[in-house]
Amino acid sequence: MEREIYGYRCRKCGQLHYPYRMVCRKCGENAHNEFDAEPLPREGTLLTYTELSSLPTVYEVQTLLLGIVELSNGIRITGQLRVAKPKIGMKVRGEVGVVRSETYDDYHGMIFREA
Amino acid sequence: MRGVYAVGIGITSFTRLEYPLSEIAAYPAMMALRDAGIRKVDHVLVANMGAGRVNHQTGLASAVVDTLSLTPAGADLIENGPASGASAIKHGFAAVASGLSDVVLVTGAERMREINNLEATDFVATLTHPIAEYVYGVTLPSLAAMFTRLYMEKYGVTSRHLAMVAVKNHANALLNEFAHLHQPITIEGILDSPEAMTNNPFVSEPLRFFDCCPVSDGGACVILASKDVAVKTGRPLVRLAGVGQATDTHCVHEREEPTDLLAVRRAAAKAFEMAGLGPSDVNVAELHDAFTILEIAESEEVGFFKKGQGHLALERGETALTGRLPINPSGGLKGKGHPVGATGVGQAHEIVHQLRGEAGKRQVGGARVGFTCNFGGFGNNVVCLVFVREN
Repeated sequence: MEREIYGYRCRKCGQLHYPYRMVCRKCGENAHNEFDAEPLPREGTLLTYTELSSLPTVYEVQTLLLGIVELSNGIRITGQLRVAKPKIGMKVRGEVGVVRSETYDDYHGMIFREA
Repeated sequence: MRGVYAVGIGITSFTRLEYPLSEIAAYPAMMALRDAGIRKVDHVLVANMGAGRVNHQTGLASAVVDTLSLTPAGADLIENGPASGASAIKHGFAAVASGLSDVVLVTGAERMREINNLEATDFVATLTHPIAEYVYGVTLPSLAAMFTRLYMEKYGVTSRHLAMVAVKNHANALLNEFAHLHQPITIEGILDSPEAMTNNPFVSEPLRFFDCCPVSDGGACVILASKDVAVKTGRPLVRLAGVGQATDTHCVHEREEPTDLLAVRRAAAKAFEMAGLGPSDVNVAELHDAFTILEIAESEEVGFFKKGQGHLALERGETALTGRLPINPSGGLKGKGHPVGATGVGQAHEIVHQLRGEAGKRQVGGARVGFTCNFGGFGNNVVCLVFVREN
């Protein structure tokens, strides 16, 4: 099964959240588990980005491109970028891949490429 | 509520310190107790972020209160990331204002140079959202860089403006014997010369090395007390007139307008409201310039300048030591250093020092009202303070 990054929709007011929170930010609904998980869309627009040269010690690369993307449904997400020339406003498409590897664990997250 | 006064201050050098964390917290407290001429303390608040993780020591407040031989006074550790210091001062304020305590000693301390710079960056990065930010390799410099890029696009801030903040704060730090960086820098050396890319490489593009604060060890202390106690000390009366705190979303990407720092705006408004003063009353300010862009953005959000015009005020020299509203006369986090848990107390220390008229070469003439902004996370938990000289 393909991996997904999920948003969480409040069952009471329909507000979509990413990442998960336990009480709805919009309507304040706080009954337990009152959110439906739904996969986030993959298409989006790059809002801002940086090339980080001072990396956390677990990374075995020289630099890492990071960005904030506004997805087609308006939800924003922080992710890694694999694009040659990032530019604010460029269309990108995400896929789920390994974003951090530690000795015994791989962590997955959204990686964006030029659409 | 009773009036709350800053009656004693003390500080260590912000640098690499080779003595235990509990002593880094206790030493400025000893100085502050001597400064105030006080021996009895009702409560000790210790501000620190990394004792458990970096220094392998928990229960730091209990260690500090005993190191100072202040037992059986109450003692608590306050951890609110890089805003731990001002958070602890806020709790001390509440204790004195309510009458629960007459004298509260607030000391902040951090010892981050025990680990290397990359490990320290990773330690601070644990402030970010674990699964929506941290896991991607996000660090505080990278969040500041993405914020800077938007600020540049929207308001016309350039690398030159950022460098001007660094040059100004390094120059101020030269006048502060306790500052971490005693290194005069020029726009030429860090931006224009052929060597600039070597002297000043990118840390997280567009932020360069000299846009980021150093990793420092250090401690600072402010003793808060009721007016009765303050008058007896015979020291100049400096009142903590306003405290304000506000939070924002944990993830930076969830903020509606990504160039706003709403927690700064709200915390400052609350602090000014309590003090019955406004931004135009302030004579001297210490802002949280962990990254040069933050001094510019905060100077707007707290109300000193209109949104998008902070860099223009900087250009005109209004925020220089000789300007209309000196910002970061101590050198700020950029020049004085940033021992995270101690920083907010260090800012208050500088303001009390200034309002007493004891700041020597970096004294802001006739300062009566001072302001601090202590910025936790990437603006998700901010505490602002307003101090007023009364006599």
